[in-house]
Amino acid sequence: MLMTRQEIFDRLKEILVAADSGNKAITENSSEQSRLKEDFGLNSVNILYMVIAIEEAFGIYFDEVGVNSFATVGEVIDYIEGKLK
Amino acid sequence: MSKPNKARVFSLKNFPHDFVWITGAPVVLWHRPKMIYTSDKAKEKIRGGALLIANHTGVSDPVYMMIGVPYRRHFFVVSEEVMDKPVGRLLRAMRCIRIDRNNPNLATFREIVARLKSGELISMFPEGRISVEDGTSEFKSGMVLMAVRSGVPIVPMYIKPKTKPTERLTIVLGERVSVTELYGEHPTFAQIDAATKLLYERETELSGFIDKNYK
Repeated sequence: MLMTRQEIFDRLKEILVAADSGNKAITENSSEQSRLKEDFGLNSVNILYMVIAIEEAFGIYFDEVGVNSFATVGEVIDYIEGKLK
Repeated sequence: MSKPNKARVFSLKNFPHDFVWITGAPVVLWHRPKMIYTSDKAKEKIRGGALLIANHTGVSDPVYMMIGVPYRRHFFVVSEEVMDKPVGRLLRAMRCIRIDRNNPNLATFREIVARLKSGELISMFPEGRISVEDGTSEFKSGMVLMAVRSGVPIVPMYIKPKTKPTERLTIVLGERVSVTELYGEHPTFAQIDAATKLLYERETELSGFIDKNYK
């Protein structure tokens, strides 16, 4: 499945909004530079949740990643892009 | 709900665990706890996959958890701090699963979920470390995500800290909590936090249950 970077971003945002709709940092101010922990306020469990949701939404399998493997939204998109190629 | 785990009576894989269990039987008998159940529902046998959680006040707590639910083989979730020591190899053979508290990884999470789905009982301390202060410290929410992904209930247990070595061990077992029944299979972050808070409250209630009914 070929997806543009913007499409991946939109899908990722949908996942995060579904999980945390009250978080304005996600709904209004998210960008590729947004930091998962500092800007969105995600904790380690939230990041694991996000990774699992991404696997289901994109039909990909994450290798052995830790919650500190991704600092920003852009890094997550890079990883998904690499897996979709 | 996962199927009950029909573990074989003897299996080489479980040998280290069963060996310690059998050789430790006299100690277990000596330290047999006073078991308190908050209701008839709490007394029902734990069948199939389940997450057993307890307060953590001392290094003997894993043994107490095993004594509290003796009819099941337990897997224990153990921190990197302990598992990275030489004793870690032995603990791995004793059905312990290493978790890195600073950087929890997907591999550990997948292993726990797979074991729960296959009907195993996994015991853990949601405080993440031995609590040095009075009462129970704040819970981490990882257990809720594990329970949701595997569809198993969480069973709260309270181990009453001993005030003197000769005191008989008292363990309280509460009713199981099914997070998927409460919030479905895809809870939001807020619901995960709410479930964590609910389990913390249940744990506090178990401690209060002794004070209320057995003093």
